[in-house]
Amino acid sequence: MKLLGEFLKGIWRENPTFRMVLGLCPTLAVSTTIANGIGMGLAATFVLVGSSIFVSLVRNIVPEKVRIPCYIVIIATFVTIADLFMKAYSPALSRSLGMFVPLIVVNCIVLGRAEAFSSKEPPMRSIIDALGMGIGFTLALIVISAIRESLGNGTALGFSFSRVFEPPLFMILAPGALLTIGLLIGLINYFTAKKGLRRGKKD
Amino acid sequence: MDLASYITIIISAVFINNFILSRFLGLCSFIGVSKNTGPAVSMGVAVTFVTTMASLISWLIYNFILLPFHLEYLRTISFILVIASFVQFTEIVIQKKAPGLYKTFGIYLPLITVNCAVFGVAVLNTDVFFLNGKAVDGSFLKALLQGFGAGAGYTLAMFIMSGIRERIEFAEIPKCLKDIPITFVIASLMSLAFLGFSGFKV
Amino acid sequence: MNQMLRFGLILGLICAAATLVLAVTYEVTKPKIEDQLKKEESAALAKVVMPGADTFTEKTLDGVEYLEAFKNKRLVGYCIRATGTGYSGYIRMLVGIDLSSTIKGVSILEHSETPGLGAKINEVRPKEEEPYFLRQFKGKQAYSIELKKDVDAITGATISSKAVSDAIRDTVNKFLAKMKDEKGL
Repeated sequence: MKLLGEFLKGIWRENPTFRMVLGLCPTLAVSTTIANGIGMGLAATFVLVGSSIFVSLVRNIVPEKVRIPCYIVIIATFVTIADLFMKAYSPALSRSLGMFVPLIVVNCIVLGRAEAFSSKEPPMRSIIDALGMGIGFTLALIVISAIRESLGNGTALGFSFSRVFEPPLFMILAPGALLTIGLLIGLINYFTAKKGLRRGKKD
Repeated sequence: MDLASYITIIISAVFINNFILSRFLGLCSFIGVSKNTGPAVSMGVAVTFVTTMASLISWLIYNFILLPFHLEYLRTISFILVIASFVQFTEIVIQKKAPGLYKTFGIYLPLITVNCAVFGVAVLNTDVFFLNGKAVDGSFLKALLQGFGAGAGYTLAMFIMSGIRERIEFAEIPKCLKDIPITFVIASLMSLAFLGFSGFKV
Repeated sequence: MNQMLRFGLILGLICAAATLVLAVTYEVTKPKIEDQLKKEESAALAKVVMPGADTFTEKTLDGVEYLEAFKNKRLVGYCIRATGTGYSGYIRMLVGIDLSSTIKGVSILEHSETPGLGAKINEVRPKEEEPYFLRQFKGKQAYSIELKKDVDAITGATISSKAVSDAIRDTVNKFLAKMKDEKGL
């Protein structure tokens, strides 16, 4: 039961993108199509889970002072593994994500979870936490990229509805990404505040 | 002709492909540290120093170690390690030799290690200034200029954003949009304005 | 100092382990990656760049990389590797020309242009087979091709369109000049 909570918190209550506002560079840069969003989300989840296992395993061996460099090395290793496998088995995806695959290494979510969670908890719980965070990140990417692709390019998952309206290019370009995430966070704030108010009245 | 191509790199990194507003590199600190102009510009200067130095070091490593020994796959791990140790080293040096400077810039240094702009420019340099495993003409200088331009573009965006945020501090914004969401919306408008540069032929 | 040594040792150990893991992964994935690249390239060659040709042999001439294309053992043309500088990086492509340097086909192997803008150089319209921008090049003279005269630029992506047409013209010219030298000698 507790493990389930550990898993679920990453998806909503502590969602890395919408609630903690971490790891934004890849979120905004690759969310131009849903396929890219899913690919980036899964790659980041792989790195999160892999590094959390090892960070958790070495947590009692690594001295306090050099822990950050050690974590970075572990994370970079998993990032490179993900990069190489993506090149080997999905070259098209690897090409469209481009330099944002190696950039997972500086994604604050990964180092943040290593530092805040895996470095203190046993491997099992670390994996669950990383999995939750990874899936939360992937879901956030899917939401943002679905909005941007359908509005900006007039397509979604292979369907094209560019005949219904002329898609505004704005949404595919940088400003559209920033606007989408800004308004989404605002929307989530609004609903949480409303829910909190209602709950406050009940108590 | 060559001088023009060098100037183009700087103009492109600062305006056309501004690191924050069009490449999304360094967004976290852009949102986090842009509340007041003073710290925002200090952060910008510190980032500029680190991006320039990171471009220099990473270029040397890539050209003289990774490429000759066919170790391109160690790019990610070696760049991030070198950047992290360089930042750490600078922090120690500044702290010991110039405590005044440390007070203004030093506190931002640990944040810079995981700043996407720094690692991003190092990776971008190897993507853009190397072709078929060989350095292109003037590759080293171009990488340096791109590193500097990236930092300068970052500082410019930080400066504008912090100025705007100082002014809207007391504005009546819907509660749910306060702080982070409104910053994104402003960034979106800034980015839209910077898109105007993209038609520039340089 | 002793403590420093211990720290260094631990960090060094972790780095060594990481490098080992990466070296193994690299060796495992390397053949697969090369295989994928070759597969994509040969698909592009036979389908788009030089339709009808059956065998290709890799050649280099003074820095220009190209492939000789044969049909029933007769030389029918050349597929030249060209690289253009686009809006946000290199655009790598293959250009197929026949013996009178008429373009048979162009295929973009790699690019990093902006989606929705520059990326349209390689965009395929629904129900069509090949990118509409690249299709325009077919049948044109490679050495004199010019944007806006022989081929239409993509709206809003002039830089990317120009990068493609300029790279094709310049590389083909370089190639033809080198060939002339070679034969003249």
